[in-house]
Amino acid sequence: MEGKPLKASAKSSSHHGSGRSSLQDIRNMWTTATLSQPKLNVQLPTVREDSELEDVSVSGKTLWSYDQKAGHDAEGGWEASDGGEDKDSFKPEEPEELELGGDSSQGSRLEEDDSKTDNEKPSSVSSLNISRHTPHRAYWVEQQSRLPLPLTELMENEALEILTEALRSYQSEIGRDHSLTKQLQRYIEGLKRRRNRRLQVLAV
Amino acid sequence: MVARVFGLKGSIMKLKQGSFLWYLYLDKLYCLLSVRNVKALVEYFHLLDVHHKKTLNDVLFYHFLHHVTDLTRNQITVVFNMLDWNTVGEIGFDQFYMLVCILLAQENHLEEQFIFRHSRPVFELLDLDGELKIGPDHLHMYNFLFNIKKQQLRDLYYNFDITGDRLLNYKEFKLFTIFSMDKYQESQKAEKEKKKEKAVLKKKLSQVNESQRESLLGIQPFESISNYNC
Repeated sequence: MEGKPLKASAKSSSHHGSGRSSLQDIRNMWTTATLSQPKLNVQLPTVREDSELEDVSVSGKTLWSYDQKAGHDAEGGWEASDGGEDKDSFKPEEPEELELGGDSSQGSRLEEDDSKTDNEKPSSVSSLNISRHTPHRAYWVEQQSRLPLPLTELMENEALEILTEALRSYQSEIGRDHSLTKQLQRYIEGLKRRRNRRLQVLAV
Repeated sequence: MVARVFGLKGSIMKLKQGSFLWYLYLDKLYCLLSVRNVKALVEYFHLLDVHHKKTLNDVLFYHFLHHVTDLTRNQITVVFNMLDWNTVGEIGFDQFYMLVCILLAQENHLEEQFIFRHSRPVFELLDLDGELKIGPDHLHMYNFLFNIKKQQLRDLYYNFDITGDRLLNYKEFKLFTIFSMDKYQESQKAEKEKKKEKAVLKKKLSQVNESQRESLLGIQPFESISNYNC
């Protein structure tokens, strides 16, 4: 019973749909697992191995599926057809599919794990112990999809600098009272508040 | 002449060290960003998309490029006009992504590789008029992005203008990319061989120097110690 939502979500993630639906599936797994007592044998080493290999496997799939997906010539890459397609063909639509490729492989692993767990007798005590000491699988998967904090900080700081300069241009070119200028000003203030909050949290 | 008028001749573009783009990397073979890099880039674009239109207008675009590269105002304007292929006055993520790949290819000296791998999109970018042909002015105008040297440009139009109309259609351009890719690979091989030879020479020289020093000194190590004791 408890395994079914996991199986269903794993199966749905194995089918190539949108990247967002696969992430939602993972998040559903996370929330249902906390509600019900998880009978998960979270094999942390295998999860780690998967995450370490993810780069290799995903990048390998990146290359492969770029060739496959777009039906390109042997050189690979974003070669549009010689029919003179417009530049909109140069679209990074593949990354969503590629993430799914990564997720589907995890989904298939989840299915294997689920089949193993079905064979074993559930024991709530042992599973509780496991859940206390080992992070949840969905947590790890979620962590893989997040950007590292230092990178986020770098991006935000840089964006703030760029936008502050842009605000000066807006103010000089279209005036301080223009709606776009005000929108940009509010946005910058929001970014600064977010950054300060994060710095406070880190300081604590 | 056009390039000079626009102040486009000059040094190759450089990314600002420590900027966000500086931390991204292209796959050397296919000149593509990894999925993780794309994901990070999406977030970055989202941060700059102040007006929530999934685009950057010319002002935002200018300040972004001005911040992360050493391109001049004219160069940035040229790049913006090149990427705004729909002439809507804004740059979407597709165009932004392509620009980042071009910048990274230049930063990592992968221009030939990039043009070879993505000859069609590059050709379409250079084909400003939409005539499916590019002239020498187009290539020279974007020299600061694609780093096509003068000699290469001359070779290009001398050797590959098969139709003789002083313009390159896509097939002629493709031939050029294959040719320059071959040349690039040959030069890489030659450089590697040179490095190997240098390393071997250095080793030999150091060995010869050692033996010469010993023969010049003409004394064994234990002899010198005994002399010191005395």
